[in-house]
Amino acid sequence: MSVVAVAKKDFRDAAQSRALWALLVVFVLLSSLLSYAYAEFPSQVVGTGTDTATVGGLIFFTSGIVTLFVSLTAIVICYKAIAGEREIGSIKLLLALPHTRRDVFVGKVLGRAAVLTVALAVGLLIGFGLGFVLIGDIEILPVLVFLLMTLLFTLAFVGIVVSISATTGSTSRATTLAIGFFLVFELLWDAVTLGVFYVANGFSFSGEAPDWFFLVTQVPPSSAYSASLIALLPDIADSVGTGVGADDFDAFYATPEIGFGFLAFWLVVPLVLGYRRFDDADL
Amino acid sequence: MPAIELDGLTKQFGDVLAVDGLDLTVEEGEIFGFLGPNGAGKSTTIDILLDFVRPTDGTATVLGYDAQRESLAVRRRIGVLPDAYHVYDRLTGRQHMQFVAESKEVNADIEAIMERTQILEAADRKAGGYSKGMRQRLVLAMALVGDPDLLVLDEPSTGLDPNGAREMREIIQAENDRGTTVFFSSHIMEQVEAVCDRVAIINRGQLVAVDSIEGLRDSTDTSTTLEISVANVGDDDIEMVRMHENVQNVTLEGDTLRVTMSGGSKFDVLNALDDAGVEVGDFSVDEFSLEDLFVRYTTEEQEAET
Repeated sequence: MSVVAVAKKDFRDAAQSRALWALLVVFVLLSSLLSYAYAEFPSQVVGTGTDTATVGGLIFFTSGIVTLFVSLTAIVICYKAIAGEREIGSIKLLLALPHTRRDVFVGKVLGRAAVLTVALAVGLLIGFGLGFVLIGDIEILPVLVFLLMTLLFTLAFVGIVVSISATTGSTSRATTLAIGFFLVFELLWDAVTLGVFYVANGFSFSGEAPDWFFLVTQVPPSSAYSASLIALLPDIADSVGTGVGADDFDAFYATPEIGFGFLAFWLVVPLVLGYRRFDDADL
Repeated sequence: MPAIELDGLTKQFGDVLAVDGLDLTVEEGEIFGFLGPNGAGKSTTIDILLDFVRPTDGTATVLGYDAQRESLAVRRRIGVLPDAYHVYDRLTGRQHMQFVAESKEVNADIEAIMERTQILEAADRKAGGYSKGMRQRLVLAMALVGDPDLLVLDEPSTGLDPNGAREMREIIQAENDRGTTVFFSSHIMEQVEAVCDRVAIINRGQLVAVDSIEGLRDSTDTSTTLEISVANVGDDDIEMVRMHENVQNVTLEGDTLRVTMSGGSKFDVLNALDDAGVEVGDFSVDEFSLEDLFVRYTTEEQEAET
């Protein structure tokens, strides 16, 4: 299989780089630190007033921070995936071989996703192992659900950044676009939604938001991920007091389940657009 | 079935016409040289053969397959040494070769091929540490995996020392003897002159000439210059040589007699000098080279345009 050959080569290439190992260390340290901080000082770090640490609490605590790390590392690991090969010319070796551009594109996504998910899975498993010990409780199923959703989120972000990388032959432009995406959709989305609200409300901040405004708040990949997690672990979400803020809205779509839709969107649409651009390009 | 067939091939990048209505046929079994100065459109043409670049107009057919619509079939049957490529710095030479074999889905004797291009001793070192010449040998080895029907080599001697360039020619020749068609581009004329059955010269995206080396020579006004070390040569001797059949010009600089001839026997001239009692020492023949031919084709073309 051509896709497998490309993905394998890409993974091998990345596995030789120190970045992968640095990433693994970072994720292990991060996850362990989060587990320790939460287990020892639950009320301070979560701030919900509960003094007892639970595995469920650790899941939602970790999920809130892991998105930031995953999105940033995805940018670092993936922005060069295709733009870099085009810029220096190694893509000529790759595409002189019998690979379609789709094979190269999908192989890149899979290879980079493998790098990130391996590092992340190892980090989270060690972190949660520590968490189990410190909290004195073991809950396998919710942690597996959390792990699965986190890997899906990782795949979505890898797909987004590789797709951005596929639209250009310049790594500096790929960097700009990827960081721009992160700024708009992750860091500044609250401001964006505020702007949308202001404009939709007739250039005023007063009054109630329309129902569809809920959808706007759920657009970012990390929001879609959180909502999906809440939808899958409703009892735990309830017990730790986490929600998607759907109570203010009355529409049928104002539920955490909407997260699945947005997550699916981020998993599919960027890949389609990125691949199309790449397939049409003169290299 | 021709190995390569270009029919009105045209590629426009913005307002630059890189390839301009190219018609060309490369027969199976040939070693075909694709010549032109830098920026003439050689690499763009090769990029179209590999579907890196899509033509604006016209078609390219490789081994009977459309280079765009059936690119995968094309790339299964050819070996490529691209221009301006970059190896994967963190992978070893052997891993590069394994990747090619996996991609082409063939069982190749990787070590034997690496031996042929003399890169075997560096097989387990990371390619990032290779010199330019070693990388060129590695990529050539990669091109040979799977015994391709056609080798497409874009400037194959780039980065090679004269010895390496000679070995490259020998490999090209050996592959051709095994029945492989070779299409290679170059701006270094010696390379082409030494191995090619036929050459095409392109300039500014257009075909200027296609012929065998001999054919190209015959079709232009070519001449040979004979340099002879002489002692005690007199004016009458020079005049005698000048009157000789086929001799166009004679000059004497110090002890060197320079005789320009269009055909005819060089030895007749040497014998005539000897008979006249001139001491003839070393002599050398400077044949009108393809280089000169190439310069003539490409510059005349340009002058005609401007």
